[in-house]
Order: sequence, then C-alpha cells, then structure tokens
Amino acid sequence: MTILEALLDPTGATGGENDSTLSPRPVTLAGLTVGLLDNTKPNSTLLLDEIAADLRRDYGIGEVKHYVKDYFGTPIKDELFQQIVSEVDIVITAVGDCGSCSAATVADGILFERAGIPAVSITSDAFAMSGQAMADVQGFAGFQFVMVEHPVASLDVEHIRGRADQAVPEALRILGVTEVV
Amino acid sequence: MTAATSVDDALASFREMMASDGYLLTWEPVTDDAVVVRIAATEGACEDCLVPLPVMTNIMAKALAPTDYALDHVELPPGATH
Repeated sequence: MTILEALLDPTGATGGENDSTLSPRPVTLAGLTVGLLDNTKPNSTLLLDEIAADLRRDYGIGEVKHYVKDYFGTPIKDELFQQIVSEVDIVITAVGDCGSCSAATVADGILFERAGIPAVSITSDAFAMSGQAMADVQGFAGFQFVMVEHPVASLDVEHIRGRADQAVPEALRILGVTEVV
Repeated sequence: MTAATSVDDALASFREMMASDGYLLTWEPVTDDAVVVRIAATEGACEDCLVPLPVMTNIMAKALAPTDYALDHVELPPGATH
C-alpha cells in the first residue's frame, strides 16, 4: 500500500501567497484578545509575557492566550493556526533569533495577516535579512516586523525586559494603535 | 575596487548572520558573470537554524545585485533538510 504524507514546505507557501494587503488595523487594543505564539526558542515566553504585561497596563488589552509551536524552524501547522485565528483578535509571535526561526516567525505573521488577524512578528536585528527574505518569498515584501537587538536567547530577565521595551513601540506602530487607555 | 572585493562586501553582513548560527559562507565564480555561494557547517552549527533554500537564494540574489555577478545557485551543507 502506498502511504502518502503531506510534505511541509519550509517557506510556508500554500498557493495563496500573493496577497500583500494588511488586515484591518485595530486602532485601540482595549478589550482585545491577544494571542502570544511562542516558537519555543529560549526566552520567547518571557519576552512575550513582558510585552503582554505592558499592553495590559498601558493599552487595556483583554484576555491573553498562550500558544506554542512544535518546531521553531518552519511555519505554524494548520491545526494550531486555525485554532488561533478562531480565538484571538491579534497575534504576537516570537522570537526569531536564528536563520530559520526568523524566517518562520515572519511567515507566521504573514499567514495571520492574510487570515485577517493583525500580527506582530519579532526577530532579532541580526537576522533581519532572513525575515525580509521570507517576506519577499511570500510575496509580501512590505510586511513589517519588529527587530529587537540581538541576542535574545542568552539574556537574563533584566535584559529581556529591555528587549520588551524596544519591541512595544514598534509593535504598536505596526498594529496602528494610537489610543492609550 | 575589484569584482571579488565587491562580492565580499556585498555578502559581508550575511556572512556574519550565518556565523551566528555556526555556518561558514564562501563563494566562487562559475562563469564570467555568475557565482556559486556555498554554506558549510562548522563544528557546533545549529542544524535546525539553517535558512530554507528558497529564502537563502532570495537573500543571495538580492545581496549580489549591486555587484558584477549574478547568483548561479546556492549550495547548502550535505544533508541539509531544508
């Protein structure tokens, strides 16, 4: 018997990759459900939690839902992707601090944007080229993502706090948020 | 500035990025106007961190655009899964 298995394209290309239109921007985050997509790289959880804490304190976000990818080097699997799309208003995903995970983090953000969910992808600045190249390959060259200072994985709590401080203003800009609660 | 220096300059930042994951980037001309870019794993390279080939190709082609050379192709380390 022949067993057929779906092969995962490491670029995440699915055939619908020509849409380069951003999803509608929220303007305000008040009361919105925020999905935090952790790609399992060290310090991803901490960085995302620090950012969410800032957004709750200063921008009044609602519920925060945590999700974890099973592998950082490829785009999100469809089952988890569909779950997140059905449960949140915006997505923040981190952290791309290597070649493949930066590319995959950007690919994930583009997938969410194309599904109508505003998304913020976070990479380190050392891997900006990797993220931008993935955006190009995806047909979404104008996709903007947050770049924090490299490294991230090896930092202690205090320095991750600093990376969150770098990320929040850029995340707000990308989301088009102007309203502080 | 020689053509070789130009390619080295063009690929310098990406060479640095690859080194962060434990990879060594080299190149050589394959024709008068095209180069091959080779990525080799060093000891302790992060195997799972290697950029997928389509993304790598995109990066290299764009990086070489200001030089006298075009990208012929990229060679990843033997056994690379992407």
